[in-house]
Amino acid sequence: MTIAAGTPRRKRPFWTIERRDAAAGYLFIAPQLIGIVTFVLFPLGLVFYYSLHEWNVLANTFNFVGAANYQMLLADKALPQVLLSSAIFSAGLVILNMSLALLLAVLLDQKLKGITVFRTLFFSPVVVSLVAWTIVWSFLLQNNGGINGLLQLIGVEGPNWLRTPATAMISVVVVQVFKNVGLNMILFLAALQGVPKELYEAARVDGAGRFKQFRRITLPLISPTILLTSIITIVGSLQVFAQIAVLTQGGPGMTTTVLVYYLYQQAFQFHFFGYGSTLSILLFVIVALLTFVQWQMRKRIVFYEN
Amino acid sequence: MKITQLKASAAIAGILLPLAWSGTVWAQDAVNLRMTIWSANEAHLAMFNEIAEGFKATHPNVTVSFEPLPFDSYTTTLTTQIAGGNPPDLAWILETTAADFVNSGALAPLTDAFKATEGYDIADVSEQATALWTKDGQLYAYPFSTSPFAIFVNNDVIKAAGAKTPAELIAEGAWTWDNAFATAATVGQSGKTGLVLRDFKYQVWQNMASIWNGWGASPWSPDGKTCTFTDPAMIDAMTAIHKAIFVDKAMPGPGEDIDFFAGETGMTITQISRASLLPKENPFDWDLVPLPAGPVGNYAVVGQAGVGAFAASPNAATAVEFLAYMTNPENSQKLAQFFPPARASLLNAETLASTNPLLSAEQIDNVVIDGISTGTVLPGHTNFAQIQQTVRSSLDSLWVADADIPAVLQSVCDSVGPLLAR
Amino acid sequence: MKTDLSPRMKVALYGLMCVLLIPFVFPTWWMLTSSVKPISDIFAFPPDLWPRRFDFTTYARVFELQPFARQYWNSAYIAALVTIGTMIVSSMAGYAFARIKFPFSNAIFMIVLLGLLIPSEVTIVPLFQMFLKWGMINTHWPLILVPIFGAPSVFATFVMRQFFIALPGELEEAARVDGLGRFKIFWLIALPLAKPALGAVAIFTFLHSWNLYLEPIVFLSSTQMFTLPQALTQFTDAYGGAMWNIQLAAATMTAIPVLLVFIVAQKQFVEGLAHTGLKG
Repeated sequence: MTIAAGTPRRKRPFWTIERRDAAAGYLFIAPQLIGIVTFVLFPLGLVFYYSLHEWNVLANTFNFVGAANYQMLLADKALPQVLLSSAIFSAGLVILNMSLALLLAVLLDQKLKGITVFRTLFFSPVVVSLVAWTIVWSFLLQNNGGINGLLQLIGVEGPNWLRTPATAMISVVVVQVFKNVGLNMILFLAALQGVPKELYEAARVDGAGRFKQFRRITLPLISPTILLTSIITIVGSLQVFAQIAVLTQGGPGMTTTVLVYYLYQQAFQFHFFGYGSTLSILLFVIVALLTFVQWQMRKRIVFYEN
Repeated sequence: MKITQLKASAAIAGILLPLAWSGTVWAQDAVNLRMTIWSANEAHLAMFNEIAEGFKATHPNVTVSFEPLPFDSYTTTLTTQIAGGNPPDLAWILETTAADFVNSGALAPLTDAFKATEGYDIADVSEQATALWTKDGQLYAYPFSTSPFAIFVNNDVIKAAGAKTPAELIAEGAWTWDNAFATAATVGQSGKTGLVLRDFKYQVWQNMASIWNGWGASPWSPDGKTCTFTDPAMIDAMTAIHKAIFVDKAMPGPGEDIDFFAGETGMTITQISRASLLPKENPFDWDLVPLPAGPVGNYAVVGQAGVGAFAASPNAATAVEFLAYMTNPENSQKLAQFFPPARASLLNAETLASTNPLLSAEQIDNVVIDGISTGTVLPGHTNFAQIQQTVRSSLDSLWVADADIPAVLQSVCDSVGPLLAR
Repeated sequence: MKTDLSPRMKVALYGLMCVLLIPFVFPTWWMLTSSVKPISDIFAFPPDLWPRRFDFTTYARVFELQPFARQYWNSAYIAALVTIGTMIVSSMAGYAFARIKFPFSNAIFMIVLLGLLIPSEVTIVPLFQMFLKWGMINTHWPLILVPIFGAPSVFATFVMRQFFIALPGELEEAARVDGLGRFKIFWLIALPLAKPALGAVAIFTFLHSWNLYLEPIVFLSSTQMFTLPQALTQFTDAYGGAMWNIQLAAATMTAIPVLLVFIVAQKQFVEGLAHTGLKG
């Protein structure tokens, strides 16, 4: 059979389903993508550009210095201490925040009267203004403050919390945890409630105790949430600085000067915007690396049903 | 994707252009000066608006808006505005950052404009007060507040502890740091608080100048190049302060934040402008006395705040004119209600008494007038913020009971020395 | 874990929760009570659990000292716009990343995720310069545009993507057979199912916008334009010293409505998150 000249050839249309879908996909992500390019990537590029310059804001000088700021970074004697403080702060914050959030979530998952009241109260610091929250705590943590007053009642002489290197770090971490643990708590609570109840019943039939149920059923099933919250918490921990500014101003010595606070000091207090930008790039690289590592590890630690 | 991007940018441009336009058109026929300040106090704002209103009489096209920024982040916010290319036309400047602003060339020179202003009488402005704000004979910011450090006393607390009050010591001619610390120690050991160095908090160490100046100590040499924390005078002063804190319990230790004006404290060192904090209900028997004599005799210390105009502003000339108007003799008197003035003609008991109704004539004479006319300004330095942090960080190890004072002060000089020499 | 508990166990749990509550509740309690104390009583030591004297004028003073009602409105409408805008942008992007096959989708998703990683201190100066160029300084635009399209919305996109990934595909297939386009599938089928996830996104976004502190301070300069966290720092006496009681009264008024919303919405919120199955 020949193809009759008069019969129109069935042309494959340009807008195939795949192409339509791809176009739709791009349209759907366009607002977000344009936003990220405009408000994140482009400014980040500018920060990198600044990091190659010596920029004195007040004198209005802006000179290209090449890698000088990066050499300064390597030679900065304060930086190892700052990185160590950041590591301690973030590790402490993540461990404490995650375990407290999980404990609270398990408690609040119980069938008890008035549990919603407790939920709300545990969550309440999240909505309290950061300024008020930090002020109250700096008041409680004073040498003659409320906490040492309580300790005195049981015959213990408390340390000078914010002025002793070891306890200053602990205090800053704990204050931050109480403020924000409510968010993770809710995420965990949601995950716990998403665990099918039949699984527990089956386990009970098999004679598994509470603790065993928790370890064998609950933990694996909420592991995706654990991964997600740990990423968010680590990233968040590297961005905390207002509380540190109020509670310790990075002291005593440099013990609570974490990287973002150091960056803030260099750029906004000392007016070294060039060097501050270099520290921003360092911070960004660290956060990106950490997240990458966690994301890669997800396959090993996260349990999926299928 | 390109098309969407184009559409989006067109949409954004559509939103933006009218906004940008309205800005420029409006700027052509009127001048709006923007002054950043760190007080959000309604009385202050009312006074400043009144002065701005008065300026309209001669400059009908000029309006001045005052922008209160939070005190804690004041310099940061100001710097961000400058870095972003949007500096205000005028700004209050803290004494600690005075050197940075004055030396940077960011501020417009004022002296010639002030001289050219009729009735300004620049000779009336005390030279001592303007020293910090002057470079090469040109004034770059006007010190609108020159506030002496003094000691507020709660006689009720001191008498209850059975100690001698400062007034009694002054009458005996024995108002020295030794005796002041002794009084504070008696109060401190009675369970109340002896002496609080306000706003120090073991962080704002430059406030200790109100004590160590009595020993003739200073943090660095007059040219600012050499660290002098290790000088004998400084070691003696710091030893006395350390003893007062850790041995005699005359001053609250680190991490003990106590407010004198709550009424449980014997004495506090602060600027006289804080008189407004004295409680109006349940007042205690308070007094205001000058700083005690140190080993080098009598001395006074002042804290300052300046106001300058930014040279890069397109309205710089108008801003300087407004500054000349705001600080002329007549308006300086208005400012003196809240901010101790730098003009000699206003430094008399009469003027100051009418604006400081809380203080007695004697207090004004002994504390305010003497303080302003003889006081040295708190230490400042170019790049002060970094120096402040570096010293603060090294000094932290001084604030323990068994500190090796000379060794700590040596470590201060080791860390801050390179910054000073730069 | 959902077994009925013995009475003894219940008492133990209540006791444990009450003890744990102290550090969560005491600061808020202090804020509430201090907001009605005369200023000289606030820093009394030891702190009073119940005010010795009451001074309710602080609440009226809040409105006298600042255009507080206006600032309240600013915060409320900004947070509302940001919440709605983020819900639209993020649900679209999240849906596309989860359900639509298009070239480079994974690479683009990784780029978008970068937004999660950058502290706002890092980009504040370049952003300030950009908004200055666009004439948007001392307007609310930066506080609306950046959260909706920029870094803060990435978390929302992430949550939405995780939700849509877990959605069964059959419904969409059926709709396709009926000839529905992508947009209609999204709007008529996927989005209504996503209500719980949207609820969670809404609360997170609202809280984030409501508590934003650094950005308003940098971008806004006249008190009429201020948002609440920024306004809180403005209650000072003549010399920059904080008027604590008035500041705390303002802080209380800032926190209470959000807390009330949470009390009402918390059940949906928690269930919404439970349904999203936030998987890594």
